[in-house]
Formats: sequence, structure tokens, C-alpha cells
Amino acid sequence: MFNATFYLRRLHSLCGLLVLGMVLFEHIFTNSMAIFGPQALNGALAMMELIPKPIFLGLEVGGIAIPLLFHGIYGIYIALQAKNNPGRFGYVRNWNFTLQRWTAWYLVVFLIWHVGYLRLYTKGVTGTPISYELLQNYFQSPIVVLLYVLGMFAAIFHFCNGITTFCMTWGITKGPRAQTVVSYLSMCLCALLCLITLTFMGSYLI
Amino acid sequence: MAEKKVRFIIERQDGPNEKPYTQEFDVDYRPGLNVVAALMEIQKNPVTVDGKRVAPVVWECNCLEKVCGACMMVINGMARQACCALVDEIKQPIHLQPARTFPVIRDLLIDRSVMFESLKRIQGWVELDGSWDVKDAPIQNPYTAQTAYEISHCMTCGCCLEACPNVGPQSDFIGPAPTVQAYLFNLHPLGKFDAPKRLNALMEKGGITSCGNSQNCVEVCPKNIKLTTYLAQLNRDVNKQALRNIFNN
Ligand code: HEM
Ligand code: SF4
Ligand code: SF4
Ligand code: FES
Repeated sequence: MFNATFYLRRLHSLCGLLVLGMVLFEHIFTNSMAIFGPQALNGALAMMELIPKPIFLGLEVGGIAIPLLFHGIYGIYIALQAKNNPGRFGYVRNWNFTLQRWTAWYLVVFLIWHVGYLRLYTKGVTGTPISYELLQNYFQSPIVVLLYVLGMFAAIFHFCNGITTFCMTWGITKGPRAQTVVSYLSMCLCALLCLITLTFMGSYLI
Repeated sequence: MAEKKVRFIIERQDGPNEKPYTQEFDVDYRPGLNVVAALMEIQKNPVTVDGKRVAPVVWECNCLEKVCGACMMVINGMARQACCALVDEIKQPIHLQPARTFPVIRDLLIDRSVMFESLKRIQGWVELDGSWDVKDAPIQNPYTAQTAYEISHCMTCGCCLEACPNVGPQSDFIGPAPTVQAYLFNLHPLGKFDAPKRLNALMEKGGITSCGNSQNCVEVCPKNIKLTTYLAQLNRDVNKQALRNIFNN
């Protein structure tokens, strides 16, 4: 018995929490340097440039692109198997289940745009390095800012609610009390990461 | 004497592939009236509020005391048992619909046999029951007997499948009830010998991995079975089974 579905589902879960979760934390950490001004962010970006090119590219492909493509594509397949019903069954966990899927759909569109424009086009094709000034220029448009803040909020909620469901999926939290405590803690983390995001996004506007 | 009436808005359907339509009926109020009793009144006198005589509404019920599971339908949007839905406790007018997670046979009558097929799939039975005297029979573990008793209350009503967003024509998930039944038989002093078989069945496509943790099932179960707790336990068990599958061969 091989049970491919079982291993794919568990891999999807691990990919989301560990690999993409790390990517999200790295993103929030690096970007939050903007709070301390242009030099701080440019310094952090320069630090990353110190990593030798082949290793950096390997990390980007193996640590971001492949896990993201797998989690994203298999995630679309999973999301298509749900018939969201929070209108009929308006319990908190069911709303979170629905939001997990709605944020997933937004992330598909947002990440294609975000990765496509900044990483593949700007940095990859035109060869322009990403810097504080480039981002500040980019964020002159309120629409771009709004869509980026929404993209970050979507990713943060999706990740934090994912911590709660991960613990259920792996049978870590079994009883309702343990599940509620983890859900409460991960929503606190969600609020904190959203606040940090608002702060560093806001720093471009001043 | 002006009689109090209760208005029912019923989604009907003449056959499995016919178009649904709604009809409204008024039923005389009486204290303690429940939805099944009201449907019986409509059956006696199937006249709509416009005075039209129509075919009686079809539905299913047996025990009338929340043990057989047959009368599950969607009442005001909620999957529940009609025999214990007291008119006094629900909003009027009362909307009745068939549970469309299952194939509709006619009106409120649905075909729940898919759950039986799923129970066969997870081996929801004990392979050999012995033919010994009661005193010689293997005993239930007293520490898990309470849990086994709780899960054994499941009446395959299908409320949890109707509420589960991942069960339906769009997915092959067998749903919470049959999944959790695997745990009941894994707890049994003889049934536990087949636990690896059941866990492997749960690891297949449409098994426990199709659960997305929305927890609707535990909210709606009329028998108050702690479905999500046992789903988490089974998640643990299938993970261990996966390790055994990988490393024991
Ligand atoms: C590219 C678009 C994405 C799609 C389509 C997507 C889709 C999904 C879906 C449908 C689920 C629910 C899985 C289930 O119920 O079993 C899920 C879970 C999860 N996702 Fe995503 N996701 C995406 C991006 C992300 C990103 C960027 C992250 C990390 C920041 C992430 C982290 C997680 C985590 C931690 C879980 C929980 C895993 C679990 O419950 O076991 N996802 N994703
Ligand atoms: S917790 Fe799982 S089985 Fe229960 S309703 Fe949600 S998705 Fe369905
Ligand atoms: S688990 Fe509860 S809701 Fe589901 S079929 Fe059994 S009794 Fe009905
Ligand atoms: S008639 Fe048996 S549960 Fe309602």
C-alpha cells in the first residue's frame, strides 16, 4: 500500500508550516528594517547579497520556489474540494476554514504579481537591485500599497491559522482546550505580525 | 377560537433528477409539536396555504427519539433530526430542505447508503466475535470504555457529513462519522487486531487527510460525539502507522 494522498497531504502541511513559514518570517524580518530608515533596509539587503550567487539561487529555488509551487498548486486542488458554508454554519472555526481558502485564492494572484514583477522582472530581467528607494517609489501608488498590505495580511492569517490546523492535522493538539489555546496564541501572533507589517509599510509613506 | 398556525416552507422534489420547488403549508399549533409530528399532519391533509391539494410530502423516520438517525434533514439551514426539533424552539416560518450532501430520492427523503459503503471501507466491524461464555470473553478496557460507548452512539444520521464543507459531490471524503467509527473498532479488545488495516484505509484517498479542520461536525452532532478529538487521535494513529509502514518493511 503506498497511499500517495496521505504523504502528499502531510508534505503540503509541512511545506506550509516549516518552509513557507520560514520564508514569511524572513520576509517580515528583512522588510521591518525599513522602520529604521533606508540605510537599515539597504544594509539588510546587502547582507543577503553576501551569500554566494549559486548558493543564493539554490536557496531561492529549493527553499522558496519549489515548496511554494507545490503547496500552492496542491493547495488549489485542496481548496477546490471544499464547499465553504460559513453562511449556514457560522462557527469561528468554520469561518477560519473559509478564510484559509479565501486567503489562499488571494495569495495565488498576489504572489504571481509580487514574485513576477519584483523578483523575476525587476531584479531578474532588468537587473535592477531591490532597494529602499525602489520600493518607496513603487509604493507611491496607494493601490499598490493597499494590495500589498492585503497580501501580507492574507499570508499572515493563512500562516497563523495554519499553525492551529497543523497541530490538529498532526494530532499534536487533541482535546478542545489544547486546540483553543493554540488557536488563541496563533491569533495573537497574527495580530502582532500584522502590526509589524503596518508599521514597515507605513514607514514608506512618511 | 382562533387557532394558532405554524407555517412550513418545504423544498420538494418529485424524483432524483427532478427540479426542486417549494410549497408552503400551515399546521395547527399544539404544545410540544415537533417537525416530524407536523409532517405527519401535512401527510394527513396535504393542502398548501393556497388551498391546493398536493401529493403528500415524503420523508423518513423511525424511532422518533433520536436514536435511529433516519429523520435527518435541513431545518432552517441547519442539519438536524426532525423528530427532536421542537417547533417552540425554532424560528418560524420553518424551512425544511433535504440534506443535499446525499442524493435526494424524493422531497425530504435522501439516500444515505454512501455512509454504509464507507463503514465497509474502514472495516467498521470486529472480525471474529468468539463464541465463548460471557465470563470468558475478552473485556473492554475500563479506561476507554466510556469513549467507546460515546462513539458507539453514532446513528449514521449524516448531520456531520451535511455540515462538513469537505464532504459533497466536489470531494471524495468519506466524512467524519465513518472516519471516527474506525477509532471505535480500534478500541475494541478484538477489533484492535485489525487496527493497521483500518488506519491504512484511512490513509487512502478520501480518508482522514481530506478533513480540513473546520470542526462543523462536532458542533452539529446530535449525539454529542467529540468527533474532532477522535479525528486528532486518528491523525496521530495514522502518522504512527505511516512510520511503521516505512520502517517495518
Ligand atoms: C500560493 C498560494 C497558497 C495556496 C493556494 C494555499 C492553499 C492552502 C490550503 C487550501 C490549505 C488548507 C489545507 C488543508 O485544509 O489541509 C493550506 C494550509 C496551509 N498553508 Fe497554504 N496556501 C498558499 C500559500 C501559503 C503560504 C505563502 C504559506 C506560508 C506563509 C502557507 C502556509 C500554510 C500552512 C501553515 C497551512 C496549514 C497546514 C495544515 O493545516 O496542516 N500557505 N494552504
Ligand atoms: S473538522 Fe474535518 S470532518 Fe469535521 S466538519 Fe471539518 S472538515 Fe469535516
Ligand atoms: S457522528 Fe454524530 S452527526 Fe455524525 S452520523 Fe454519527 S450521530 Fe450523526
Ligand atoms: S426518527 Fe429516529 S432519529 Fe429521528
